Amino acid sequence: MFQKILIANRGEIAVRIIRACREMGILSVAVYSEADKEALHTQLADEAVCIGPAQSAESYLNMERIMSAAIATKAQAIHPGFGFLSENEHFADMCVKSGIAFIGPSGELINKMGNKSQARATMMEAGIPVVPGTKEPVYEAERGLQIADDMGYPVMIKASSGGGGKGMRIAESHEEFENHFHLAQQESVNSFGDDTMYIEKYIEKPRHIEIQILADKYGNTLWLGERDCSVQRRHQKMLEESPCAVIDDQLRQRMGETAVRAAKAVHYENAGTIEFLLDKDKNFYFMEMNTRIQVEHPVTEMVTGIDLVKQQIRIAAGEKLKIHQEDIQLKGHAIECRINAENPEKNFMPCPGTIEDLHFPGGNGVRIESALYNGYTIPAYYDSMVAKVIVHGEDRMDAIRKMRSALGEVVVDGIITNLDFQYEILNHPVFLSGDVNTHFIPDYFEK
Amino acid sequence: MLKFKKTSYIPVQGKEPQVPEGLWIKCDGCGELLYKEDVKQNHYICYKCGKYFRITTRKRLRMVADKGSYEKWDEGLTNENPLDYPDYPEKITALKERLGIDEAVTCGKCTIHGEEAVVCVCDGRFLMGSMGYVVGEKIARAVERATELKLPVIIFTCSGGARMQEGMVSLMQMAKTSAALKRHSNAGLLYISVLTDPTTGGVTASFAMLGDIILAEPGALVGFAGPRVIEQTIRQKLPEGFQRAEFLLEHGLIDGIVEREDLKETLAKLIVMHRQVDVKEALIPNRRKERVQETRKRREQVTAWERVQRARDQERPNAMDYIQEIFTDFMELHGDRHFSDDGAVVGGIAYFDGCPVTVIGQQKGRTTKENITRNFGMPSPEGYRKALRLMEQAEKFHRPIICFVDTPGAFCGMEAEERGQGEAIARNLFEMSDLTVPVLSIVIGEGGSGGALALAVGNEVWMMENATYTILSPEGFASILWKDSSKAPLAAEQMRVTAAELKELGIIERIIREPEPANVQNTGKLAAHMAEEIRRFLHKYLALDGETLAQLRYERFRKM
Repeated sequence: MFQKILIANRGEIAVRIIRACREMGILSVAVYSEADKEALHTQLADEAVCIGPAQSAESYLNMERIMSAAIATKAQAIHPGFGFLSENEHFADMCVKSGIAFIGPSGELINKMGNKSQARATMMEAGIPVVPGTKEPVYEAERGLQIADDMGYPVMIKASSGGGGKGMRIAESHEEFENHFHLAQQESVNSFGDDTMYIEKYIEKPRHIEIQILADKYGNTLWLGERDCSVQRRHQKMLEESPCAVIDDQLRQRMGETAVRAAKAVHYENAGTIEFLLDKDKNFYFMEMNTRIQVEHPVTEMVTGIDLVKQQIRIAAGEKLKIHQEDIQLKGHAIECRINAENPEKNFMPCPGTIEDLHFPGGNGVRIESALYNGYTIPAYYDSMVAKVIVHGEDRMDAIRKMRSALGEVVVDGIITNLDFQYEILNHPVFLSGDVNTHFIPDYFEK
Repeated sequence: MLKFKKTSYIPVQGKEPQVPEGLWIKCDGCGELLYKEDVKQNHYICYKCGKYFRITTRKRLRMVADKGSYEKWDEGLTNENPLDYPDYPEKITALKERLGIDEAVTCGKCTIHGEEAVVCVCDGRFLMGSMGYVVGEKIARAVERATELKLPVIIFTCSGGARMQEGMVSLMQMAKTSAALKRHSNAGLLYISVLTDPTTGGVTASFAMLGDIILAEPGALVGFAGPRVIEQTIRQKLPEGFQRAEFLLEHGLIDGIVEREDLKETLAKLIVMHRQVDVKEALIPNRRKERVQETRKRREQVTAWERVQRARDQERPNAMDYIQEIFTDFMELHGDRHFSDDGAVVGGIAYFDGCPVTVIGQQKGRTTKENITRNFGMPSPEGYRKALRLMEQAEKFHRPIICFVDTPGAFCGMEAEERGQGEAIARNLFEMSDLTVPVLSIVIGEGGSGGALALAVGNEVWMMENATYTILSPEGFASILWKDSSKAPLAAEQMRVTAAELKELGIIERIIREPEPANVQNTGKLAAHMAEEIRRFLHKYLALDGETLAQLRYERFRKM
């Protein structure tokens, strides 16, 4: 086992990892930017090394400075957390070549899963369902129509160079297709000067479901239940829960086993997440794999009782997983709310500032992950997420009530947060019914 | 600060991480730690600060020569130790063994993107790349062989200068290598020198600075006396950037700075551009019958003063606008090799159809900032000297010359006088008169007096419809003759400055019409028409031999 780990991250995840290290009897080395001199992770770690100016590119993304901090402090491993360098294959390789363990998968694996089209191809080869679509570029409506008819409607017509919704159209039926194809193609030609189109099955109002994976280097691969992350705004997740309200044991089993198959297909190692889209008929399709610990990992920890960060460290140290699939039982229901320093009334504009007064709730089944403290000034350079409130209840309703109660206790004075917005979600009848998909926020809050 | 009870009593007893040797390097430019593999991927350039690291012969050849094409020449020559310098032969032997190279220079032949060339590479690790007998001999032999084989020579210089351990024998290598290059040049062959960090002393003062084209790597230190010697002599600290490649470019000593990424491409392109081509094959045949345009002449009533205004209009396409439209692959070359690189004159090599041509233009700016760089299109002596240097090279490599004239006049300033403005203009008239390649000058805007004529001793001189060509500005004319510069419009009429009038006077051969207003938007159309006429000119004059060309030019001015 390692005796010293460098945490190449900041904020609450750095704090989370430092705590895991301390519990495991491992020394922690924090790295910090000039803007984070006073940050909690800097103060909490056993050692701290300044790695440069506030801008991420100069500090938390500066591989060379982080490596020299690791070498200078003689750290045996680096935990990248999430974001920053966590999915940078080059950094992972650099660590390994320098004789320092990277707590995560190898650079090769990061690359393999990070390249979306390659990942899709790999998954198709392994027999994992992916969103049906054409590999071949389509230039003419006639050919597109054939493909769409075979695929079944609705279909998405997508410009190869597309982005920001441009050159994208949904065709609901055979009759509509041609018109929409021409519109999308014209838009693409106008915007990108490219008439290359793709046809893809359109998944209507899908849920975003992800399966947590743990895999050691000996080929033991486990799945740890699912997380429903459908409550999101512009692809930013806001609230996550486990288990999903509409997944029964049988479907869960199928999804879990598929995820394990996907991970095994690439000989995955360490913690990872397989993201699926779940349509209204309970068909699920592989979307992508995240090769790191995720923000919402605590909900899985609450329902399984397994500490994912500690497992990550053990796997990186070459230990064998001590848990078996049959040991993993989902107990109760967990919800996580992300507390962001942002103003929902001003289009969620980030609002950093100084914490004048701070109180977090406690009690049975309430967990706080945060790097805030009284008097702390949130720097403007980084992500606006400042805390996560996680609750664990007997069932979904119990968890929702607990979360409402907990959020009611939170005091974060001095900055504007999305607390009230979260509270509204928790009281929304559609959310309460459990019938939530990725259009939930745009449909009910942004119209 | 928070007061934590961080009670972790964890003894570190496990093994410390073993970082393999050489995995990380430190940049001596910015001090940052660098991952060696990434530096390698980045052509041995610091990816943090852009500093160019010195590289070995093997790496340089890998960067430039086509794979497996390099054939080493004259390995194993030995020197005599003329001074009986203690331990010198032993040191040489040890270095050969340690570095795996023959001497401080490696010479041979290879292909660069398929183009054959003799390539010599100096290696700074071998006694600072200093030049003793063996280095001089290898270079001289390589150049001689290149002359025999009619091949271009490329030398990558990197040297502290002459090799002290060999005394006067070393000094003589400067003359020897220069002499070999002179013969190579007399044979009409191309020599490109690429200056790398550092190039000083006797190497700078011989083969390094003799290239037809001199390129340098960014940031390379190049000078005769080393900076430390200068500082000790003058007892002053030298300014930042002194003697660096960028300084050399600014001071007109090199043609350009080339990034490693573009090095191979640039060298191959230069070799091809300096090759003589079969004109008939290279040029597109004339498509139109002559004078079709002339018959459709449109009558526009414009006063001479209005034409003066149009010729001066900032919106008028400038030399670079036409160069970019009419020619392809324009490669700008800089400097007069003496003092400075004048922004008011641009010049270089480009293709017209498939035919390499030398293009020179007086360049005005559009914004104030541009105009400061371009000195409002008023050339200094070094501008004329740069133009002449490029014209003489064009003659050596049998390229026609096309000049774009657009200047209010040669720069009137103390500095210009100090450096001989009059001499520079005179020299151009003198030398241009008997160039053995076709010369075409086109007045595209203002043709301001002697400053314009210095680029207009052509076989033909053309003017754009709204260009002017004058003995001095109408304002000046009015003020000298009538003591009233406000009578400039009247002066413009009196002076006969317009294209039509000058054609009548026989000062010019052709008028390039402006069917559309001459502005940036219409550059394409104007240029297309101009290109047609240039093609016709080249068809006519490229068919003539050098002597005839010079004779025709002589007669053209003789009869005026």
